[in-house]
Amino acid sequence: MNFLIAPVAVGVIAAVLGAVIGIVDRIVNNYGDVEIDINGKKTLTVKGGDKLLSSLAAEGIFIPSACGGRGSCGACKCRVESDVGPHLPTEVPYLTEEEMAQNVRLACQVKVKENIQIRIPDELFNVKKYNTKVKSIKDVTHDIKEVVFDLQGEEIDFKAGRYVQIVVPPYGKIKGSTQRAYSMSSKPSDKGVIELLIRLVPGGIATTWVHNYLSEGDEVELIGPFGDFERRETDATMVCVAGGSGMAPFKSILFDMYEKGELDREVWYFFGARTTKDLFYLEEMKELDSKWENFHFVPALSEPQEGAGWDGETGLITDVLDRYIKEKMRADRDKEGYLCGSPGMIAACNNVMTANGIPLEKIYYDKFA
Amino acid sequence: MKMSPELKKAQENMQPGVITADGFLGDEKRSLKDIIVRDEEEMRKYGLDYEESAKLLRELMEEGRKGLGEAVTVKERWLVQTFESRGPLPCPFEDGIFKKVTAEITDKKSGEKILVSDMAIHLMESHRFLEGIGSSFRLDPEQLKKVVF
Repeated sequence: MNFLIAPVAVGVIAAVLGAVIGIVDRIVNNYGDVEIDINGKKTLTVKGGDKLLSSLAAEGIFIPSACGGRGSCGACKCRVESDVGPHLPTEVPYLTEEEMAQNVRLACQVKVKENIQIRIPDELFNVKKYNTKVKSIKDVTHDIKEVVFDLQGEEIDFKAGRYVQIVVPPYGKIKGSTQRAYSMSSKPSDKGVIELLIRLVPGGIATTWVHNYLSEGDEVELIGPFGDFERRETDATMVCVAGGSGMAPFKSILFDMYEKGELDREVWYFFGARTTKDLFYLEEMKELDSKWENFHFVPALSEPQEGAGWDGETGLITDVLDRYIKEKMRADRDKEGYLCGSPGMIAACNNVMTANGIPLEKIYYDKFA
Repeated sequence: MKMSPELKKAQENMQPGVITADGFLGDEKRSLKDIIVRDEEEMRKYGLDYEESAKLLRELMEEGRKGLGEAVTVKERWLVQTFESRGPLPCPFEDGIFKKVTAEITDKKSGEKILVSDMAIHLMESHRFLEGIGSSFRLDPEQLKKVVF
């Protein structure tokens, strides 16, 4: 029996040490209740020790986050006015020097260990989490789905151009939940539903889930509305450019304008695609074009296939845009640019627009990527 | 095979949920060192050079970017579509930060595809790591040979 003494003794010592560590951890890391003062307008009492992002979300305050708090998107920036220690190495890559000087932090990296004061945009007080049910899923192209979510009796108030975040649950090999942002394509007057256009991105976690796993009737959490993309209340000509699922905010904005009778304003909408199979909502846009005298829809194909019967514009959307600004639009009218697309598309359109006299500060964009 | 502390740290960073939700190792259970050694053999088998492959993939991605998010035909052989996502990604070897730019490269004739990212090219060029079998962004030597050479 002597041979058992050593292993049993080691086991007992390990168990005692484990218990001591557990107790010490609970005492040392017990921060108790702490207060988060938001903009000097609202104070939340939360359990100390958790991340700022999750502490706020638990109390119904949602900071935008494209990665669900993993520290890999840099979206959840907010200004912390209290001293919470130096910036962490996990935050630095996502912050500019100016932001760091203003003590902008990533809410998913900062722990709330004592009372703190933070500043966030006031609009975030209106952001809510919606428990939705998928009402319909429709293929609008070979790689873009239109998904309509029923808010199950709740309503959403938003300005056309805003976005929501889908909470993607674990699926397949993906073990954790994550979030991704998508612009709403539904009109603000459609308060009981949210419509999104989601293009399949190869290897993309959220888009793969939507395209291959999501079914009608499934329950999905959406958080929103977020963003500041919207039409400005001026009488300047709106020059809008999009491609692919960048259609979403413009569908919302254009049908909202039509519904509200804002028909005196001149609007040009350029939509770029590669082939006819990448075009969608063509009939809806052409109908809007025919009913609204000052609205001009210009779809363009970069690689039209022979025999596809395409008689519209051809070429890269930036080349078509350049030609139309020079040849078709009135030079004496003020113009504003509205863009939705990848950073590369935004940069290319910025160049064309500024070269044609549209000031950079009057070019607004929804950088959905 | 024994791993250096740097490789051990990199392998930790490659686990699902650390840098990306699904990680860099795919379904592989073997060590990072073993994966790299196995793939060096695979690259030799298909007559591929790491630097040359990285250079060609980077050129194709650059051409794809001209499509501004739409697919674009490159040199009449490939269809390249690039996608850009929000935020940067740190390299699991902790030697750089990369934009989340990915491209799907399709050989128009055969229909064979390969998915490539700025990060995947860096991993191939600087660390001889092609990502594990089962990873979406694995630059599988056989597929690489079929699609881009």
